[in-house]
Amino acid sequence: MYAYIIRRIGFGALTVVGVSILVFTIMRIMPGDPLTAIYGPDGMHKLSDAERLSLMVELGLTDPLVVQYFNWIVDILKGEFGRSFFRAESVGEMVMRRGPLTAQIAILSVILSWVIGIPVAIVSALRPNSLADNVVRFVSIVCLAVPGFWLGMLIVLALLFWFGYRAPLTGAALFENPLITFQMVIGPAIVLGLGQAAYIARMARSSLLEVIREDYVRTARAKGLSSRMVVRLHALPNALLPVITLSGILLGFVLAGSIPVERAFGTPGLGYAMFTAVNERDIFVMQNLVFLYSLVFVVLNIVVDITIAWLDPRIRYQ
Amino acid sequence: MTEPFAVPVLEAPALVPPSFLARLWKLMSNFARRSPISAFWGVVASSILIMALAAPWIAPYEPLQANFRTMSDPPNAQNLFGTDQIGRDTLSRTIHGSRTSLVVAIAAVVLGTTFGSIWGLASGFLGGRFDIISQRIIEFLQAFPDLILAMAIAMALGSGTTTVIIAIAVTRIPFGGRVIRSVVLSLKEMAFVEAARSLGASNLRIMAQHILPQCIAPYLILATTHLGVAIIIEASLGFLGVGIPPPTPTWGNMLSDALNAGLVPPWWLVLFPGMAITITVLAFNLFGDGIRDALDPRLRGSF
Repeated sequence: MYAYIIRRIGFGALTVVGVSILVFTIMRIMPGDPLTAIYGPDGMHKLSDAERLSLMVELGLTDPLVVQYFNWIVDILKGEFGRSFFRAESVGEMVMRRGPLTAQIAILSVILSWVIGIPVAIVSALRPNSLADNVVRFVSIVCLAVPGFWLGMLIVLALLFWFGYRAPLTGAALFENPLITFQMVIGPAIVLGLGQAAYIARMARSSLLEVIREDYVRTARAKGLSSRMVVRLHALPNALLPVITLSGILLGFVLAGSIPVERAFGTPGLGYAMFTAVNERDIFVMQNLVFLYSLVFVVLNIVVDITIAWLDPRIRYQ
Repeated sequence: MTEPFAVPVLEAPALVPPSFLARLWKLMSNFARRSPISAFWGVVASSILIMALAAPWIAPYEPLQANFRTMSDPPNAQNLFGTDQIGRDTLSRTIHGSRTSLVVAIAAVVLGTTFGSIWGLASGFLGGRFDIISQRIIEFLQAFPDLILAMAIAMALGSGTTTVIIAIAVTRIPFGGRVIRSVVLSLKEMAFVEAARSLGASNLRIMAQHILPQCIAPYLILATTHLGVAIIIEASLGFLGVGIPPPTPTWGNMLSDALNAGLVPPWWLVLFPGMAITITVLAFNLFGDGIRDALDPRLRGSF
């Protein structure tokens, strides 16, 4: 087990290094230099060459790329994520302030996806090709086709039209007023949760169908266990393993999906910050946020893999 | 298992070609009889394609023409889907939006899947150090959530159609790479490859003549199943302001415009473009499922 954990973390660390190089490369292939992004094309012409040069030096953009890259890594290791061109707030402060909101959305949506997806999958797998099964499958296929941000916009509009209700846009601090925070978080969480639930239901259905045909399930039934007990105690635990892995992969779907969904709801989370940064072409913020998102994604997937190995000895001993 | 002499049989159909149209018709009618639901969605998908091709003739108004007499009108007899803040017809814009969406999605998926597949083919076949390095790079690419990688690339390259295509294509590379590599790894051990090698065929010849044809079915499956995702990513990029810039109508930037217009967007500006995305993605996904079942029955009913 320990050997497996160490190997998994080792590969994870390699991936993080690779990801940081990729992010840095992508952010430096920008045509036109970052100063145009900061001052606009007009502002750019008003600057003299000397001013331009001194600004570039100040931002550290004149150093060779390798030096710039290592400076960035050292900054990250020191816990400094740089600052925005346009805001007083540093990226670190921004993450601390906005991060919890997005984290809440993510956690809530994962919980929702399991609460909706698993029971639906059980109903559908126990009677394959029944009416209920077909309805479930069709609904899950539709859920996969609906863009989350559009569903979010429709929910906001519908609540406003029929109930005159708008979720609060600016929240008190996280723990000061949980009710307000909950209202801000629940909309995006439902939208993202539904999208994931569709994937989870499909995966759980097919994996249950596979497990139910196994010998040990037949043995359990032959012993005289009720079919409810067989599903709950014998089939489900094994069928859920691939679902846990899928849930880890879907975290990427939540992290990325929260960007347009937060925009649709106007939730001031990290996703909204990403939307602002990409529109202002704020490359330093973007560079750090993209790296942070991928870091979170990689780390969570390592956690998922280790959990699976802990639950399933077959993987541990491979 | 496959006989070593099966190689010439692969080329046999080319010797007596029935007319192309007849073969196509037979293929399609078989498909429709086997899976009528997929065939129905195939028809929906092709009508959306035709709508996109014929957009200038179908759309009742010019998509870019503002009309200050009909600003922010709800749906009515003249403008079936209503108009936006500067009086442009939403129906015409939605129809024209299908063009950009489909062009971008198809181009991106073809580009990304082809590149990924060739890479996967080479890395699976050649193995060794090239394979190990390729696998690591693909892993790095997969460490980014799709949309975030596409956003970063689209922002870095500046806005435009080509940029969006490249951004989405890059997110499709790992899928092609992984799937085709695993197909090639199992093909490589087959007897007909060994036979070809013993006849003195070079690596390149074996890859092109013997392995490549076997990869066409998984390639088609990959390409069709990823079209829906590509359409959603394109719409999301448009919605986030890094897609194809206005005034060119795309479903994503129409939704973004609706949100920019004011605190409360008019419902018709939100409902119709989103419905267009949903129906298109639904049609391509279900049609893709049908094609997957037809080409690879082993996968039927699985995830």
